[in-house]
Amino acid sequence: MKKRNLLALLLALCMLLALAACGTNSQPQPDAQAQPEADTQAEASAEPKVLRLAESFAYPSLDAHKDYYGWYTSIYGMSETLFRVADDLSIQPLLAKSYTVSDDGKTWNIELADASFSNGTALTAEMVIRNLQRLAEVNERMAYLSDFSFEAAGDKAFSITTPEVYPTMLSDLSAPEFAIMELDATTDFDNAPICTGPFVLKSFEPEGTVEVVKNTAYWNGEVKLDGAVFYYMQDDETKLNAMQAGDIDGYTSVTAAAKEIYGADPATYTLTEIPATRLQFYVLNKTRLSDKVREAINLTVDNSAMAAFLSGTVSPAVGPFGASAPYGKVTKNAPDAAKAKAALEADGYTLGADGVYEKDGAPLSVNICYYAARSLDTIAVLMQEQLKNVGIDATLTVQEDPDATYIATGDYDIALYCMIADKAGDPYYAVDALYRQSCKWAQAGFPTAESEALINELQYETDTAKRAQLANKIVQMTIDDNAFGYVGLFNKTTVTAKGVSGIAENCPFDFYGVSAATDTNR
Amino acid sequence: MGKYIVKRLLHLVWIMLAVSFLTYLLMYLAPGDAAMKKLYAHGVAVSDEVLERTRERMGLLRPFLEQYGNWVLNALRLDLGVSFKDGFSVADKLAKGMSYTAVLTLSSLILSLVVSLPLAVLTALKKNSVLDYFIRFCSFVGNSLPNFLISVLLMYYLCVRARLLPVVADGSVRGLILPCLALFIPICGRFIRQFRAEILEQLGKPYVAAAVTRGVKRRYILRNVLHNASIPILTVVGLSIGTLLGGSVVIETIFRWPGLGKLAMDAITNRDYPVIQGFVLFTSTIYVLINLLTDISYRWIDPRLRQQ
Repeated sequence: MKKRNLLALLLALCMLLALAACGTNSQPQPDAQAQPEADTQAEASAEPKVLRLAESFAYPSLDAHKDYYGWYTSIYGMSETLFRVADDLSIQPLLAKSYTVSDDGKTWNIELADASFSNGTALTAEMVIRNLQRLAEVNERMAYLSDFSFEAAGDKAFSITTPEVYPTMLSDLSAPEFAIMELDATTDFDNAPICTGPFVLKSFEPEGTVEVVKNTAYWNGEVKLDGAVFYYMQDDETKLNAMQAGDIDGYTSVTAAAKEIYGADPATYTLTEIPATRLQFYVLNKTRLSDKVREAINLTVDNSAMAAFLSGTVSPAVGPFGASAPYGKVTKNAPDAAKAKAALEADGYTLGADGVYEKDGAPLSVNICYYAARSLDTIAVLMQEQLKNVGIDATLTVQEDPDATYIATGDYDIALYCMIADKAGDPYYAVDALYRQSCKWAQAGFPTAESEALINELQYETDTAKRAQLANKIVQMTIDDNAFGYVGLFNKTTVTAKGVSGIAENCPFDFYGVSAATDTNR
Repeated sequence: MGKYIVKRLLHLVWIMLAVSFLTYLLMYLAPGDAAMKKLYAHGVAVSDEVLERTRERMGLLRPFLEQYGNWVLNALRLDLGVSFKDGFSVADKLAKGMSYTAVLTLSSLILSLVVSLPLAVLTALKKNSVLDYFIRFCSFVGNSLPNFLISVLLMYYLCVRARLLPVVADGSVRGLILPCLALFIPICGRFIRQFRAEILEQLGKPYVAAAVTRGVKRRYILRNVLHNASIPILTVVGLSIGTLLGGSVVIETIFRWPGLGKLAMDAITNRDYPVIQGFVLFTSTIYVLINLLTDISYRWIDPRLRQQ
């Protein structure tokens, strides 16, 4: 009897602990209720249209200005920026109504739209300026804003003056970190920021589930959904199972295996796939590889075959940007094994008995450095195989942290890497990060006085068309010089349950999600 | 006994110092740092200037011994600092992770004991019978299957096919069932095999044969057998708790269970030294305390040890 009691006690204790732990974080944050009372009325309707989505990342804060948290407040439909990047990569006004630039290109005059925060407070120029100043203080990456001066011109207009010409201003202002928050009424930026978006926070579990409801006072039209729930799911199998079980209505970054499963059931699921902005590329070390060897390598690497092997999760790239962008108009030679071999032979290499080219008795061997993420491990193996087929021996070196190892030391023949190439509708960010004399790739030997001069020109060019021309010219130089090889742009693959639309599935950027137009007939 | 406990607790101080120093050193020597991981989190490139400024703010440019010394001094004041990744309190993160891990660990452990002990007794008593072979085969399979496979199979069959449980079950006890089962299956398999071996060993001892010869009732013999087998059984259980505390990363990730294992894995990936140090300190303390409790329980169970 005593034993039975003890067992019952232990089980009861276990259940109590379970209830305690599971229950604590599911409660809505008290401050999260800072919204008009009408917001909650939507919940009371018989069948509220609430979308359930899975997200691969979750953070402990909703302060849109800190770190990358603004990406998520944007995805959750809570925060908005002065401008936004459209699906065609053009920059469109959002909280801003219009803008002009002074003749010297240093002063940007921005007029605001008649927008308001979810608590009903009107958006003012003074509030926008304070937001930009706060962003400079709390986000290391945006500290450069402290060099700019801001001046309000009435309630609905303000100007930004930069020390030198700053053509990427609109692109910067479109970045999700530049979200505008109600700084006076918000009492807890981490847990309950008040913003201008179509949705307001209902509950927030740090690094967990986030729940939003319709902002009934939304300034920019009718919000179709009553709410949305974002579940933090890192594991791909969990997302697949949750989708199949009907527990979620959609997610992005669908794996190749899951894509096949969804593709086989078009009556239940809708798959949308577009080339996005995350670029897989490799750098050929000019200080180690001759011009002809680099040419042979680029003529050998068949990125279409790689994309096919990766089951369509990437689209073959020509340059770092999508071909549809005005700054993505570059060309490269098609893979040609015969031409690759001819290039090697012109460089004095002869084919050895073992099928590997050699010169002066030394086999032609290259070292491919990579890290096991973003499919770069697969690409490294495929590249090794393709090079072997034309007679180039390749050894693979894997590192956990590329930035601290092979990129820092320059100890590589071919370095594989992956990064976002188009941050917000302008080419300068990638050009600056990849091709500058001061960038981390410079020790591979690409930058020249000519390329640097063109990059400087791009930095200060204000005409969008000319910027695209300059970017195309610089990227073409990297291709013609065989200094870089562009493998693929990751596809943004989104799966949704039938009837769900408007979760930014046609937008190449990762930081947009639900909007006023998001809808479901579920 | 009191002296023994004090002595063991004093050992804990040295163990914690040694473990924390080694962990800090290994993290320091590993390529990359928290500033890089934080700034490059979304594949966005940043300038060297921003990187250096962030490193300076995080204190990463200071010499190793100074960094470690500061951490030790703060830890002595029970201040584990803030996460490099997000600036939130390490102690709060550990407390939250621990609450989830404790629930998962305890529930799966209790379930495993409740199931495995009777089955181990049964298989030992019915040695080489069909039932014995069947249970041993099941426990062998359960023990051999990797965690991720068990998790995915459970999720697929119970959630997708049978629709008995939801994949997403935030804030409900139903959310505990699948991760608990995924942990329970391999532990139970291991326990059954180990407990069975211990019980069989006891059953083969002369005192059992003597008791049988004297006609002692079977249940009294079994009680003694279990009592004598309890020391190795406790050792197995104690070691399992230590492993479970930080070793269920895969299960926590698949079932979205925000426990300590996942916290530690994320911290290692992000080179989040304060969180890693806090985790190491916390788990090494728990591990040592559990071992101490296990040792104390030996003395409680076996009077001979008390006399030594």
